Amino acid sequence: MLGAAAVLCVAPLALGSYQLYLAQLMMINVIAAAGLNLLTGNCGQISLCHSSFMAIGAYASALVVIRTGLSFLPALAIGTFAAALLGACLGYPARRLSGLYLALVTLGFLQLVQILIEEFPELTGGVRGLSVPKPQVLGYAIRSDFALYYVLLGAAAFAVFLADNLQRSRFGRAFNAVRQSAFAAQALGIPLGRTKLVAFTLAAGFAGLSGGLMAVAVGFMDPTEFGISTSLRQITFIVVGGLGSVAGSVLGAVLLTGLPEFLRGTQEYADLVYAAILLGSLLFMPRGIKGLLDDLWSLRLVRKPATP
Amino acid sequence: MTLLSLEGVSVSFGGVAAVREVAMRIEAGEIRGLIGPNGAGKTSLINAIAGVVTPQSGSIRFEDREITRLAPERISSLGVGRTFQHVELFRDETVIENVLTGLYRHHVYGLAPAMLGLRRGAEAQARREAAELLRMFELSSFAHARAGDLPFGIQKRVDLARAIAARPKLLLLDEPVSGMSEAEANAAIATARSLAHERGVTLLIVEHNMRVMMRLAERITVMHRGRVLAEGTPAEVSADPAVIDAYLGEVAHA
Repeated sequence: MLGAAAVLCVAPLALGSYQLYLAQLMMINVIAAAGLNLLTGNCGQISLCHSSFMAIGAYASALVVIRTGLSFLPALAIGTFAAALLGACLGYPARRLSGLYLALVTLGFLQLVQILIEEFPELTGGVRGLSVPKPQVLGYAIRSDFALYYVLLGAAAFAVFLADNLQRSRFGRAFNAVRQSAFAAQALGIPLGRTKLVAFTLAAGFAGLSGGLMAVAVGFMDPTEFGISTSLRQITFIVVGGLGSVAGSVLGAVLLTGLPEFLRGTQEYADLVYAAILLGSLLFMPRGIKGLLDDLWSLRLVRKPATP
Repeated sequence: MTLLSLEGVSVSFGGVAAVREVAMRIEAGEIRGLIGPNGAGKTSLINAIAGVVTPQSGSIRFEDREITRLAPERISSLGVGRTFQHVELFRDETVIENVLTGLYRHHVYGLAPAMLGLRRGAEAQARREAAELLRMFELSSFAHARAGDLPFGIQKRVDLARAIAARPKLLLLDEPVSGMSEAEANAAIATARSLAHERGVTLLIVEHNMRVMMRLAERITVMHRGRVLAEGTPAEVSADPAVIDAYLGEVAHA
């Protein structure tokens, strides 16, 4: 743990500017994936509009800075809160749905958000996009990519801390219960609707935080960045990393965000490679990298307990 | 004191009547058996009490409170627990996590403390209670095993331990010994008995194994084709000609 933390703290000194940018994206994706994993991996609710909540967080926090002159951190908090609030608004009707119907409703929401961004260009910049000013944290302007990396690292660590605590609480258990047997969950007094609503709200909040950070890291917002392919990419992160596991969210987001670096020259086929990785991991490691690591770990270090 | 009372309860599925005009009273502290041939409507009745299906007519009262149209989680939090005929464990979770999930309504804390990790006291209490329950059900050695990997008889025990974790006043046991070996069934019966007596849990047990029921229940309600056919002590019920006819008829046709 400490070793990993040390590497994360020192790493940017050894990285080129493109790698540093990738490292920033990794942190951003870790936050979004951790949120999606709570909703999909733990609570079992599919969402195709995770990127829309990133968009809401991104536009809301950027617009607060641009329009009101508020500094970055309160704007980020407002963006996160706005995303969570809209997550609750979607979660309220969606809590009664599952499977295909839920997929369709979240897809509809994704389209709606895209259209709204494009239809209000005087506010959002529309299809031409929106430039985002450099962030100010506690009075200091964050100009260098190094400084921004540490801000993002701190945010990602905080998000992982929150998700991990949550998962090991009664709420995390309720999420897992709802996914595995709604019947049994209710018989134990766990309210299905309210539990799903909490999951939708939290996932949207994490996505909003991630989006707000993405806006300042990229410095420019292009509405097409928040389309279906970003949502699918988030799903790929958690499936490949390990559904329902915070470590899985981190592994999936870090490794797959870093993938372009390993796949230079296959740029046009990047989506194809992602698809192949998603299919391959579904077929060959259904519990993701985290599950695979657990298995390897137990093979090497712990004897399999005798079956009773 | 009457804990549960049913008045004219009818349940039907798409025109097929599963439960017809059932009336029943269960006293606090009682161990009540509910028996009947296959298709007699026992499980439908249990589901109606637990709120999983809504009766077309009639009224179900628990502790003098109307629960007929409440959501299952509301009924559960009033103190009605249940186990499942085909066990409904959270299969991917460990045994202790299953039992901890049963404690959801106890050791309560809010979302913000949960996320910030400020709930160690409540969590520690919950873990102690869960460990205690595992000891009671002789499940301690399986605490960290994945529930779905365990043999059926042990899964049944986990199901029961999890239901008890929710601290029910009335526990609905749907075929608690089905799929168990004779020895496991005996142990389960002993556990159920001691639960009822030590924890003051009232039991309503669905079972079509007559022998088990004779040893376990204090009073037995017999259902046949959705109706209550007879009610009384095991001795009274087993001597009732109508019951013998319904049961032996079934055996003879089987």
